[in-house]
Amino acid sequence: MCDNCGCETTEENIFLPKEAKIIKAVQATADVKLFTLKMADGYIHWDPGQFLEVSLFGYGEIPIGFASSPTRPESFDIAIRTVGRVSGAINKLVAGDSMFLRAPLGTGFPINLLRGQDVIIVAGGIGLCPTRSLIQYIMDRRDEFKKFTLIYGAKNPSQQMFKDELATWKKSSDIDFYDIVDKADENWKGEVGLITSLFAKTNLNPETRAVICGPPIMFKFVVMELNKRGIKNENIFLDLERRMKCGVGKCGHCQINDQYVCVDGPVFPLSKAKQLEEAL
Amino acid sequence: MKNYYLSENDFSDFVTRMISTKELIAPIAKGPRFVFSKIKSPSEIRLDYDVTILPPKKEFFPPRQNLVKFSSKGYEGCIDPKEKILFGVHPYDVKGIDITDTVFENNKKDMNYLANRRAATIVASNIQKVSSRAFWDTVGADIKAKGHDAFLTKISDGYHFQTLTTKGDALISCGKFTAATEKQSSEAKKVNESVNGTCPEKLKHSSKDIAKKVRDSFSKKEMWDKMAQRCFSCGTCNIVCPTCYCFDVQDKWNVDQTSGVRTRYWDSCLTEEFSKISLGAGHSENFRESRGSRYRHRIMRKAAYLNETLGGPACIGCGRCSSGCTANIADPVEAINTIMEVK
Amino acid sequence: MSRPKVGFFDFTSCEGCQIELTNFGDAAFLELLNHIDIVEFREAMSEKTDHLTIACIEGSFSREQDRARLEDIRKRSDIVISYGACASTGGINALKNHQDDYKKCVYGKDCNMPHLASQEARPISAAIKVDYQVHGCPMDKYEFLDIVSHLLHGKEPVVPTYPVCVECKRNETVCRYDDGDHCLGQVARAGCGAICPSHGIPCEACRGFVHDANEESLVQTLIEKAGFSKKRAQSKSRMFTANLRSDAQ
Repeated sequence: MCDNCGCETTEENIFLPKEAKIIKAVQATADVKLFTLKMADGYIHWDPGQFLEVSLFGYGEIPIGFASSPTRPESFDIAIRTVGRVSGAINKLVAGDSMFLRAPLGTGFPINLLRGQDVIIVAGGIGLCPTRSLIQYIMDRRDEFKKFTLIYGAKNPSQQMFKDELATWKKSSDIDFYDIVDKADENWKGEVGLITSLFAKTNLNPETRAVICGPPIMFKFVVMELNKRGIKNENIFLDLERRMKCGVGKCGHCQINDQYVCVDGPVFPLSKAKQLEEAL
Repeated sequence: MKNYYLSENDFSDFVTRMISTKELIAPIAKGPRFVFSKIKSPSEIRLDYDVTILPPKKEFFPPRQNLVKFSSKGYEGCIDPKEKILFGVHPYDVKGIDITDTVFENNKKDMNYLANRRAATIVASNIQKVSSRAFWDTVGADIKAKGHDAFLTKISDGYHFQTLTTKGDALISCGKFTAATEKQSSEAKKVNESVNGTCPEKLKHSSKDIAKKVRDSFSKKEMWDKMAQRCFSCGTCNIVCPTCYCFDVQDKWNVDQTSGVRTRYWDSCLTEEFSKISLGAGHSENFRESRGSRYRHRIMRKAAYLNETLGGPACIGCGRCSSGCTANIADPVEAINTIMEVK
Repeated sequence: MSRPKVGFFDFTSCEGCQIELTNFGDAAFLELLNHIDIVEFREAMSEKTDHLTIACIEGSFSREQDRARLEDIRKRSDIVISYGACASTGGINALKNHQDDYKKCVYGKDCNMPHLASQEARPISAAIKVDYQVHGCPMDKYEFLDIVSHLLHGKEPVVPTYPVCVECKRNETVCRYDDGDHCLGQVARAGCGAICPSHGIPCEACRGFVHDANEESLVQTLIEKAGFSKKRAQSKSRMFTANLRSDAQ
């Protein structure tokens, strides 16, 4: 039995995926599709921040973060942006189709270190998808966490995902939610500018735990804002992206110094990432 | 552990009997070099080889290995181990296999490797000829070769054969073995000890000191760039390395265009696109873009990164990379000795 | 993609790649014919069609008057594949880009006949947009099959970006340099399965250079390890990479 979830650590073929059925497929933005899935054999356990290797036979496999919380176990979501061969093929699938998964993989967000603390999540672009697993988790178990802040930056209003949920979060007293776009369109009434400008609106105590997920360029500037507010590097967690093939610490593509992002991460405390010259 | 003796005259009969029971993989000549290959007759075996082009890991982790077969009817894994005897493996290569055993056992077990590994009987052999770029006697010298099932040593009038496992014991029935005398066993011991100190290349520091100094040299960008100046990014040093295990995975359709295979291929972190990701819309990011950063990653992996996991360096001193590199820059001895001198 | 209409066209070349295609004769190619309709193929038929799903172009672009024909193919086609070294890099034809006295040497007294007038040899991509390239002299028919197979499924073909050495070592071929020979495999684009070295023949980089090929290092290796003169070492890779080398005209 494994320590994490009690599943059997049998000598099964780690490269043999399992079938999942698409219950729902909606276009989240022009190039991002949100899939709601259910395993064909009904069983999957995951932690927020963990990921899956999603495949279509003939096209290949890609690593994708869970985009929904295990507190909603009846199904799970993944969001895929069309960038290459595999994502392009998967995004042509519709409800009723199957995709093939190896999951859960990697080390997710350190829920135990966030519990009982103020939490801020900073998500840029597609980074909202993997963090959504944590956002939903915190919202579903709201009592276990103190003040909860979410900052979300998108390129433009049409690239904003989960619009219904964003509206709910905006109204909710359980979460301080701020969003911004780099470039507005005629209908946009919200903030325009860099994601870091939203920090002026927040009121963060130095003991706040922070989670950052977004394009690599964003990390540096967000970290500066957090540090400015007295938040220490060991309380800042980064969700990193690298090239991945196997997802199980073998193929070497995702290695950052001596760390395998697919096993040791994808979530790393900034204090640890700082020791990895190749991380940031 | 049991010690046996086999006379020179009985050797070929022993090999013939082994071939009749299982697939026998042994060193044979290929042009001016040697390779591990399936043999049909005892005369092909060249126990006087210096080093093979590829290490024996290829028997468990082949350069191209199917992982999943798919068709319109469904899909299945491709694990299909065949019982083999891997014969005449030099001790440094035994150490290499021990390292790949560890990494494929680690994290999640990779049965695509392990099933093949478990189906193999490994017969190590003494080194009769030292290759021109070898340095196995100064790298991780305190680490003992382990994981083999038997050890064959050429002695004056025949072979000393030491069995270490039940798989090794099982081979005894294939030959006219007698119990080794104490004299024969001590001669075998001497033969194996006598090669130590004969490698043409030498590391001058302990693995521990090397690991620390190499790791601490990470940010010496100019040094790494200079070392890698002549690098072709051709991947030879990775592909011939017994302790490299990186791979790429690709799907392909068969000609019927409905069935196909998912295959893994040996990959190389020295090649330009190894760490490159696509960001969409024609954009990409390469996390190790310069030759120097890729060269550094390899030396780090061999000398520092994996030491904790393995209990020593991820290099066994076979010298394959040194001799395979046509720019003559891959040699870990030269690289490490240089790094150790830099202030 | 439902049974794509495929056409084959040739420009300045030996037409060896077309021969390589028709040479298939084995089950693999016949099987492929179940999935495509060949609608234009000068070596085998004379029909012409308005719309092509895939146009496969062989040969280099070496006469300005070919531009209109290429543009016509492009206009009629969804996907354009240049196949073979001539079409994808200019190939051997591009050797002339560095010469000015070749015409007399090749054609003798007829050298000024109008049909022999040509410009520098360029890849097809110098005239029109090319979607995919199949490299090699001749192109590898199995790679061609594989690329068409990918396109049948709407998947961008996977073409190796690493050098021939990777494939050669995977094959456990004796390095040409270990056999007292020379080789360009270190800088040559893979995808051929390193077939030449496996038959004891040096790689001539017929598929062109990998990105960021270390030309200086190659010259040094040819001098040091293969005993070439400096002059020979410097010109060695030109046969197939005249348009790709740092000294390309």
